[in-house]
Amino acid sequence: MSDQRIERLADVLVDYSLGAQEGQQITIEAPSAAGPLVREVYRRILRAGAYPLPRIGIEGMLENLMLDGSDAQLDWVNPARRDDIEEVDGRVVIMAPSNTRSLTTVDASRQARFHRALEPQRNRYLERAANGELDWVLTLLPTHAAAQDAEMSLTEFEDFVYRAGFLDKDDPVAEWKAFGERIERVGSFLDEVSELRVVAADTDLTIGVGGRQWIRSRGQENFPDGEIFTGPVETSVEGTIAFTYPAVFQGREVDGVRLRFEGGEVVEATATRGQDLLREMIAVDDGAKRAGEFAFGLNEAVTSFTREILFDEKIGGTIHLALGTAYPETGSANRSALHWDLICDLRDGGEVYADGELCYRDGAFLAALLG
Amino acid sequence: MGDARVERLGTLLVDYSLGLGEGEVVRINSSDAAAPLVLALQRAALARGAHAYANIALEGLSEILVNEGSKAQREFVPDLALREVDRLDAEITIWSEMNTRAFSRADSEARGQVYAAERSLVNRRWERIGRGEMRWVGTLLPTNGHAQDAEMSLREYEDFVFRACHVDGDEDPVAHWQSVREELTARAAEFAETREIRIVGPDTDLRLGVAGRTWQPSYGIYNMPDGEVFTSPVETETEGEIRFTLPAVFYGREVEDIRLRFEGGRVVAAEARRGGDYLETLLDTDEGARALGEFAFGLNYEIDRWTRNILFDEKIGGTVHLALGSGFEDCGGKNQSALHWDIICDLRDEGEIYADGELVWRAGHFLEAPKPVAERV
Repeated sequence: MSDQRIERLADVLVDYSLGAQEGQQITIEAPSAAGPLVREVYRRILRAGAYPLPRIGIEGMLENLMLDGSDAQLDWVNPARRDDIEEVDGRVVIMAPSNTRSLTTVDASRQARFHRALEPQRNRYLERAANGELDWVLTLLPTHAAAQDAEMSLTEFEDFVYRAGFLDKDDPVAEWKAFGERIERVGSFLDEVSELRVVAADTDLTIGVGGRQWIRSRGQENFPDGEIFTGPVETSVEGTIAFTYPAVFQGREVDGVRLRFEGGEVVEATATRGQDLLREMIAVDDGAKRAGEFAFGLNEAVTSFTREILFDEKIGGTIHLALGTAYPETGSANRSALHWDLICDLRDGGEVYADGELCYRDGAFLAALLG
Repeated sequence: MGDARVERLGTLLVDYSLGLGEGEVVRINSSDAAAPLVLALQRAALARGAHAYANIALEGLSEILVNEGSKAQREFVPDLALREVDRLDAEITIWSEMNTRAFSRADSEARGQVYAAERSLVNRRWERIGRGEMRWVGTLLPTNGHAQDAEMSLREYEDFVFRACHVDGDEDPVAHWQSVREELTARAAEFAETREIRIVGPDTDLRLGVAGRTWQPSYGIYNMPDGEVFTSPVETETEGEIRFTLPAVFYGREVEDIRLRFEGGRVVAAEARRGGDYLETLLDTDEGARALGEFAFGLNYEIDRWTRNILFDEKIGGTVHLALGSGFEDCGGKNQSALHWDIICDLRDEGEIYADGELVWRAGHFLEAPKPVAERV
């Protein structure tokens, strides 16, 4: 029997997140395991009078490339997919992992090489999105693999995911609009701030954000969603930060990450586990040493760590910082093959100061500031 | 990695059919049902230094397009898709479906619009193949859907398919297909000067003009499995009657016991015991649909039964087939049509074929082995 929540998810993705218009070309990029959601999204793109262009992957192909590919094969960028990025009006990207650790044993430098080759394409789509030429949305269809990473049963994980998207509500789009208004109030406050200071256990970090745009994430580009982010002033980050959760990158975990910044650059990076991977990633290129994103997670329905950044970075009461490439619409010029989000939980005693004034405590903005 | 026969099939297609080389770009077209072969092909292509990627038709999407799309959406051929074809050095199509009858009840007009859009991409590919700019091969990985059509279990059907491809492990697949290449090349050369083919069988006496046309041997380069020798008959010269005892299948629909009468190259009378309406619809596709685009001998004797799938059926050892619709330029064929519908005529029991009046084939076999090409000089 089909899950009605999948149909609602497709409704929200096509009608609310993308706002698909007649005549548009919209790619659906998904593994074949996402079939049930792909079919519903495809149907709704047709209903909108647009042209769906499915780009379906087969589980195992990336693994084959990573294990057997030569350098030239890892470096190859499919020109047809580059054309997609140049010309389509929208992208629906659906994750549905069958095994989140299928690349765990692959040499990190080979993965880095593969991602470096794709970097221009990634930057180009972010640029088109920033210019308003391309709408995109990223989501995840629950699978056993994703549930396993979250340490839940598939049924529990489905409930968690669909609740985080308000798909258990009668009118999810109305819920997202109301949530968007709350995020807007946080944005209006942050727009006036020039420096943030985060204070928590083993953490005292200052971040320059003056003149940068705070992007309100209301379910248009990620689904589920609920964060507000910016690109820090490239040379401004100073101090230390200790991240709460294991950071997962391409299926490998790095635990107990601590970073020290000077003049915007990471000058010291330690981890209790996976330190080699951490240092390898930071050494990918110059931009990987800088923070390309600083954000507050605001979705109160995302309460626990799942090892999937799409959810984890939205956990209400956390902040995250990403090493590497920035979203151009924030005003940051940092570019890198890397974009690695690291999360710091502030729900238990964490504080944030805005230009010296306390504005956030124990995982929430002070109510008085938000009007 | 599963079935070793799938790995061998992947290697055979990459190394023998396409001969992929370093740096070449190959696209693998498939439904998600054939994932194991897609992966085997990718591994074989990676081993040759090629760049392989997949173009996966997710089961069910085409049905949604046919049933729910607008006319504009059904007929849409993205410029992106046309340019993508232009960039390929090679392409592999795996025709595996979970359910071969998903379109049996679909509106034929709507299905036809989607088919025409798909066809324009296929035509683009054939234009490029004609100019020597790319290569292509089509094959099939067994599914329960195809096994059901063939009235076999999946295991029996797998044995049948892999045996027909000669990848079941008893011999070197590449060596086998190279010997087929020699034999069929010699066979095709024997017909080079033939002016007329006459097919005689039960309710059948049909004459085809083939003067000036080229006969092509088909030995595993474009199809796997393979094994046929074919040409495109002279468009205005087909005369007489033919009865097809095996049902003809087109996009999942069957037409049974077709009888056709030709005059001046064109079908002037057509009847069928079942599916006559569909037969008429197909004949009315366009101007070229009533003339023949192909005549061929099926010569793969590992394919010994009808399976409701043209990839295999047209190669059944001991049959011939005719195709209504588009002809092959490289045979000298001039007929143009959106249709190319292969219909099999089983001659294994009592059929006879004459080449310029001389009996050359009886009861499913040529009377003589072909002389090797070298000895003919």
